Amino acid sequence: MSMAEAIRGTGTREVLLDVNDLVVHFPAGRRHGRPSFVHAVDGVSFRVRRGTTLGIVGESGSGKSTTAQAVMRLVPATSGQIVFGNRDIAGLTGRALREVRRHLQIVFQDPFSALNPRRRAGDQIREPLDLLGIGTRSERDERVRRLLAEVGLPPQAADLYPHQFSGGQRQRLCIARAMAPEPDLIVCDEAVSALDVAIQAQILNLLKRLQRERDLTYIFISHDLGVIQKFCDEVAVMYLGKIVEQAPAAEIFAAPRHPYTWSLIAAAAPPGPMRDELKRRHLVKGDPPSPVDPPPGCRFAQRCPAAIDSCSQRLPVLGAIGPDHYVACHRLAELPCLPFDGC
Amino acid sequence: MSALLEVDNLNVSMRNGSGRLVPVIENLSFAVAPAQTLALVGESGCGKSMTALALMRLLPEDFVITSGRIVLEGRDVLTLPAKQMRSLRGSAMSMIFQEPMTALNPLFTVGDQIGEVLRWHQGLDRAAARSRAIALLRAVQIPAAEQRIDAYPHQLSGGMRQRVMIAMALAGRPKLLIADEPTTALDVTVQAQIFDLLAELQRSTGTAILLITHDLGAVAELADEMLVLYAGRCIEAGASEAIVTAPRHPYTRGLLNCVPHLAVGGPPQPWVDLGEIPGMVPPLGARGADCAFLARCAQACDVCRAKPQPTLEPIAPGHAVSCWRKTELAA
Amino acid sequence: MTIETSSPMAAPQIDLSAPAAVPPWRLALRQFMKSPSGVAGAGMLLLIILVAVIGPSLYPVDPLDLVGAPFMPPDADAWFGTDYLGRDVLAGLIHGGRATLAVGAVAALITIAIGLVIGAVSGFFGGAIDAIMVKITEFFQILPPLLFAMVLVTLFGPKLTTITLAIGGVSWTSVARLTRAEFLRLRDLDFVKASRAAGASSANLILRVLLPNALPAVIVSATLAIGVAILFEGGLSFLGLGDPNVMSWGLMLGQNRNYILDAWWAVMFPGAAIFLAVLAISLVGDGLNDAINPRLRRRS
Repeated sequence: MSMAEAIRGTGTREVLLDVNDLVVHFPAGRRHGRPSFVHAVDGVSFRVRRGTTLGIVGESGSGKSTTAQAVMRLVPATSGQIVFGNRDIAGLTGRALREVRRHLQIVFQDPFSALNPRRRAGDQIREPLDLLGIGTRSERDERVRRLLAEVGLPPQAADLYPHQFSGGQRQRLCIARAMAPEPDLIVCDEAVSALDVAIQAQILNLLKRLQRERDLTYIFISHDLGVIQKFCDEVAVMYLGKIVEQAPAAEIFAAPRHPYTWSLIAAAAPPGPMRDELKRRHLVKGDPPSPVDPPPGCRFAQRCPAAIDSCSQRLPVLGAIGPDHYVACHRLAELPCLPFDGC
Repeated sequence: MSALLEVDNLNVSMRNGSGRLVPVIENLSFAVAPAQTLALVGESGCGKSMTALALMRLLPEDFVITSGRIVLEGRDVLTLPAKQMRSLRGSAMSMIFQEPMTALNPLFTVGDQIGEVLRWHQGLDRAAARSRAIALLRAVQIPAAEQRIDAYPHQLSGGMRQRVMIAMALAGRPKLLIADEPTTALDVTVQAQIFDLLAELQRSTGTAILLITHDLGAVAELADEMLVLYAGRCIEAGASEAIVTAPRHPYTRGLLNCVPHLAVGGPPQPWVDLGEIPGMVPPLGARGADCAFLARCAQACDVCRAKPQPTLEPIAPGHAVSCWRKTELAA
Repeated sequence: MTIETSSPMAAPQIDLSAPAAVPPWRLALRQFMKSPSGVAGAGMLLLIILVAVIGPSLYPVDPLDLVGAPFMPPDADAWFGTDYLGRDVLAGLIHGGRATLAVGAVAALITIAIGLVIGAVSGFFGGAIDAIMVKITEFFQILPPLLFAMVLVTLFGPKLTTITLAIGGVSWTSVARLTRAEFLRLRDLDFVKASRAAGASSANLILRVLLPNALPAVIVSATLAIGVAILFEGGLSFLGLGDPNVMSWGLMLGQNRNYILDAWWAVMFPGAAIFLAVLAISLVGDGLNDAINPRLRRRS
């Protein structure tokens, strides 16, 4: 990607994934005699362009992982469209679903539970190739060796069992497995969060190199703003099942407009007077509320320092405030300026 | 100011499957002054949590303290009889853990659990313990403390539980609070709140804090002093600001460089590979006499390969490094 | 030995000094060999099986033949004496072991087969299928198994095949519950999702991903099921529901129980044989349990 393109955004590239009004509700027993639901994802729309990375950031209960797993069709979507390529995959089943899955792969957070403890590493990387019947047996083994080399593991690793690897090496195996069917899109679901910082850097560099070499598209889920800023082209901030702000990474950390984004930035900013000022004015109190049967109105209203009465009655919609910059807030016009955004 | 806690040449080993002792912590020495915060920093497997457990004399079964002294307020912790050690835990020093979900007893209310500590250590009666517990919950900024005191742990969010843990740890008015990764399991906005709370409580109570963490950047604000551990050995020690702004050991530098820090307000940056520390921490039992970081160090030279682990020596006032090339690398 | 790659990036090192790849089952076997009681049990069991398999050709006396007077105490002619009809007790022990062990093994196989299928389907698909399967399992669970088996044997006649089927048919519930619990636990683990994402079908997931991981928990109860089946066969025969045409330890016990005060040997020896076989199996089961499901499983 050229520097000019990085600044302009990535608007010229083909849209690979177009998610429209995705809803995922889980039943959560009964409350007061009526069935209640976890509103894990509550009407989320976004697009991801080929070769770019969409970062989804949020706290626990924000629905960021559920969104990604619904796109992968690993959890059932309650409603909404998931257009991949030019085809809505939300309703696919059976053979057609298995066929489309080779194009969508996932890397999980915990490298210890992500590998089958009873199968050799090589067999697990080869699994998607076996299932899809790609090539002959020896061609597949050759491909496993190439994949191992690409993620920086020796060919002998194929014969070992998962317990013989460290956490970082296991994550490399997971990446090799995700790459095996030559997917277009890889979801990284907190893929570096469980790793030590030194190993985290190794894995991030690896993912970036693979993206450059293969024009891979990533959905990158993390709670770490520093990593998100470094790694992603577009960023969506989620809170309690909703996207509250979405913009190119360059824009969202330079001129964020949603009070929740401010709070996240205040918590993650480097130490110094600006961080103290940000924390004093914008860091929210308390914890995110429960996603079970959320109240009407803006989900963030009860923690928002700028909330007024009407915020908890009407749900704000995600509206464009600039090219590729979307915010869902009733009080957009009245919000104060930040110490760094020069508004 | 005289030290509250002094750890002198602490060595901890683990008995492995064949009964041999494998070193876990080697020759660790440090001191914590009253009302100060010392951070122990390092990756997993560097021995930081084991140090905390050794201080509390709560090491798991297979771990033994092979030599060294731990002195808290002039008393040698390692030679205290078990009964006195129990009364020391919770009153002179207490601990908060990483996972507030499992560290609270799910069968008792928050008030019962805090009250229990108060009755043990301060001999308060039921009513006094309750009102003191409410005061403690207020001190850790739990809203509606009068109602929350009768809540069970599962009725509270993660951040609330960690606040309750802190209230419990403070109930015995400890001189030293050991915080083992207190925010790792929490959401980012909650992490910031807990760090602020700890700092504020330290100002008001004068407790010394031993903060155990893997995040070098995050502790810079909170900690006065810092110890960087690698493979059970202290490789750099000093004022935390000095270490963060001018790290001397190649490992400390590596740790600081490999974390992408959030930059606000700036223009977009094109991707540059993050600094990497190749390889991984040598596992227990695979640590020889030579510098533990040798295999991963980009600056290693013949001197490093020929000599054993260097001792921790001062390089500037209040700043010590364990590296054969410390003076060359500082230049 | 460590091996470095020629990859352009930082090469992680893998310790290859340990024997290259140790399959989990071999690790478990190694662990099992460290348990003295497990090894002793396995030795005992092997010996019993050996006697049952090659014993009849070394001691070719028909266990149903009347070889002498009834109630002959053990002596030089009949080392273990004769029973109430004058049949050789030693011949009964050696030949009867075949039938007893066969009933135990086949009944255990039936138990496991039914239990695995019901548990796996129930745990994997969940929902309405699970609800129905659980109700069926519970129905079988509340029937007193011995009584139910007696009814079956009485209905279909005391033949060895009927007895085996009856034992298998009443004792599968615990295996089913165990399998279901394992499947429920495993179903949501990331590596199962990863296989799903790789395009695995339901059959593929059940047979190749979930089952191998659920087996360790089931294998121990399967081993113990053999012992339970042997006891069951003894119990049925004791109550007069054994197959009179095939000699087995249970049958010896059942037919001679009225004469225990006159000829203790005709009851004690088959009783001891059953006891030793079941003891050996439970020792093996315990050893396997410690080897396969260690309480402290290291994470590296």
